[in-house]
Amino acid sequence: MISRVAESCFWLCRYMERTESCARLVSVNRLIVLDANAADAERWRPVIVVVGEQARFEELAGAGRYHDDDDAQQYLTWSEKNPVSIRNNLYWARENARMIREVISHEMYETLNTWWQWFNGRAAQREYKKDRSEFYDRIRSMCAEFQGISHDTMLHEEPLHFMRLGMALERANQTARLMDVTHHRVAASEKTTLESPWQSAQWVSQLRLCAADEPFFKRNRAAPTGSAVAAFLLQDPTFPRSVRHCFERAEEALGNIEIAAERRRPTPSLVAVRSMVDRLRSQNIASVIQSGLHAELTHVVDTTATVCEQLHHDFFDPITEFDIELASRAPESARSQAGAAPSKAGSQVQSGGTQSQSGGN
Amino acid sequence: MSTAPINTKVPLFADYRRLGGTYDEFFSEQGEPRPEVAQLVHSLDRIGQREFQKRQQLANSAFLNAGVTFSVYSDARGGERVFPFDLIPRVIPSSEWDRVERGLEQRVKALNLFLTDIYGKQAILAEEVIPRRLVLGSSGYLPKLHGVKPPGGVYVHVAGIDLIRGPSGDFLVLEDNARTPSGVSYVLENRGVMKRALPLIFRKLNVRSVDDYPSVLRNTLCESAPVPDAAVRAVVLTPGPFNSAYFEHSFLARRMGCELAYPSDLFVRDHRVYLKTTSGPEQIHVIYRRIDDDFLDPEFFRPDSLLGVAGLVSAYAAGNVTLANAPGNGVADDKGIYPYVPKMIRFYLSEEPILGQVETYHCDVDSDLSFVLQNLQKLVVKAVDGSGGYGMLMGPTASALELEEFDAKLRKNPRGYIAQPRVELSAAPTWCDAQVEPRRLDLRPFVLTGKQTWVLPGGLSRVALKPNSYVVNSSQGGGSKDTWVLGGHPGPGGAATATPHGGSVHTLSSLGGKAS
Repeated sequence: MISRVAESCFWLCRYMERTESCARLVSVNRLIVLDANAADAERWRPVIVVVGEQARFEELAGAGRYHDDDDAQQYLTWSEKNPVSIRNNLYWARENARMIREVISHEMYETLNTWWQWFNGRAAQREYKKDRSEFYDRIRSMCAEFQGISHDTMLHEEPLHFMRLGMALERANQTARLMDVTHHRVAASEKTTLESPWQSAQWVSQLRLCAADEPFFKRNRAAPTGSAVAAFLLQDPTFPRSVRHCFERAEEALGNIEIAAERRRPTPSLVAVRSMVDRLRSQNIASVIQSGLHAELTHVVDTTATVCEQLHHDFFDPITEFDIELASRAPESARSQAGAAPSKAGSQVQSGGTQSQSGGN
Repeated sequence: MSTAPINTKVPLFADYRRLGGTYDEFFSEQGEPRPEVAQLVHSLDRIGQREFQKRQQLANSAFLNAGVTFSVYSDARGGERVFPFDLIPRVIPSSEWDRVERGLEQRVKALNLFLTDIYGKQAILAEEVIPRRLVLGSSGYLPKLHGVKPPGGVYVHVAGIDLIRGPSGDFLVLEDNARTPSGVSYVLENRGVMKRALPLIFRKLNVRSVDDYPSVLRNTLCESAPVPDAAVRAVVLTPGPFNSAYFEHSFLARRMGCELAYPSDLFVRDHRVYLKTTSGPEQIHVIYRRIDDDFLDPEFFRPDSLLGVAGLVSAYAAGNVTLANAPGNGVADDKGIYPYVPKMIRFYLSEEPILGQVETYHCDVDSDLSFVLQNLQKLVVKAVDGSGGYGMLMGPTASALELEEFDAKLRKNPRGYIAQPRVELSAAPTWCDAQVEPRRLDLRPFVLTGKQTWVLPGGLSRVALKPNSYVVNSSQGGGSKDTWVLGGHPGPGGAATATPHGGSVHTLSSLGGKAS
């Protein structure tokens, strides 16, 4: 498939995943802040930090303005200044879909487009004012609808593999960032090994923000502890948002891509994903916590970034490699073999157009 | 015991008044429905105005949700707009269409032969049928391509020939589009929405299908490829999502089952064109390009341009890739050449032209120029290489300033313009907010040429939505209608006999089937 199209498939699903994730975070946090034990100044900080918008939000709303529910929700939902607001994620998802309309099924485009028209119309505004929970639920089900339609209407081949790859890496990243924020907050507040009620509440909140509370309690009967929650979100093989599950899905998608693209050797992207999967499968949570959960989560986030960069070289803009391959194929070409070793430095990283606009998480 | 109806239906055409001086597509001068629309008028009247309005709204939202839009250049944010659609179809009876179809085939054949000749022996110039200076001086003529024969020998794979009906009701050719005619996606989408909005009426009328277009286009392209059919790899080439016709480019790629490429997805090595794919470079044999000549290849056309695919024309000249349509076709649809098309038909085919065309004054000829300058207020003046309704003067409605401006333009560059009397375009009943009013319209049929020539039944009917306007272009307040060419063989009792179309090449002959 066309390299540019592959990149748009990848980003389309990342944007959809971000849309869903942002709607979930806001929707869950609206309930969390109603609980008495939430410190006023902290109300919206975790969510703003998870989406990576701390600096811009403080600049626009004023430092420490995390207590105003409406400001924060407005910023996360509608703001055009926030590159990862629901509005902008949806906008870029649709733009990417529009660029590859002939590749995705028409049902997918129509679903996304109809939702986009709704989001920009009066009906959405009305619902936002009247029944906000319903509003965010609707956005979440829209994302689920899109995933379902993709699965049911597209050929299960390369384009869909790239979409799943984008979704899996985005999810892994989101989960790691969410874990890190809560971890920081708990670590900063009390240096005790015993779980206080406040701490327990934090872990429950974290599970809810990851849509993991029900799945967690199917595995664990006892009250959640920091290490049980970390083990679940990091290592559970079957929870759809655990880091391990996401990386395994990414490995699967990338493996399928390499078969479809007739790669003879595993690409560096696949090698990086595989080594992350191996690491997550074999690690012991106690030793991870002992050597620092923050460092481990940073490693996850960094790996995602590295893989994305590597995908660019391997699939999305491999022009340098093309030239070399062509030169070696053409018998009349007298070009020497000296250039045969692909040099990363020499390959131009083109601007990814719309895809890169807010891709720098 | 009689019960009065609670809702009195107002028949759809209850208040309809014909436009004076024009041919009305639906009603005779006596106000009677024409035979081909009698049943349609009856059915629409029964639906009534209120219900019709509801269905029109349904159709509008269907277009918006399906994203059937065109991009607007003037909108800095790259806005998309729905091409306004009128739910009252335009109907062409079978017998009339058969004549039009033959006329179009004839005309497109002649245009293809003309291009073959101009980029080859130039017999038509040697015999002085068309003035040499007109042809070689055309901005669409590319002397560097002289002697280059396109793979498959076809120049105009896709033609859009704009037709109008004059006051007598006869179809006339208004202009030829032999470069990158657009609009066919609306024909197919209009039909889809029509079937949803008025299914029962549609079933009654035995309307010829338009769904074969993408598969016939695909076959047409493959037939002209430089490699055997099974090995052909074809793409649609678009300038990108900000182009006004982007929806159509994407639509055609999807419906033909081939890939949509941007110029940056292609590159040329050793006179071969490659696509950048996740599996490495893959050679491309056919490019249905929707990019103008000027932006096709910076090496060939505009060294200053960053757009296009460098080396593409060299690959074409080497016979390694088919470009549809061929570069250099601008010389055939130059409005200055248009008056000579009937002569071309006689010269190449030894036939009389089947379709008439509009009388044209060539400003390049002194006697014509002085006539045009004296009668500017009565004429329509067009730039020879213009399209989309831009760069033209509508004399009868122009301001004094505009007239003065064109007077100067004509004196300065007479070769650059032609003039025609303003034809009273035919009008058709059109839903305008709350009632049906007459609006002027034209017709753009699409003609495909590979090994044979095939005409899509109907085409895009474009409507000038502003009252009294003559300009139908989408960029200037135009809308569209579904065009119904009626089948020659209505089923028993005129009931539905929706012919199952196989969607294969064989429709080439069956769709051309003449009325008995």
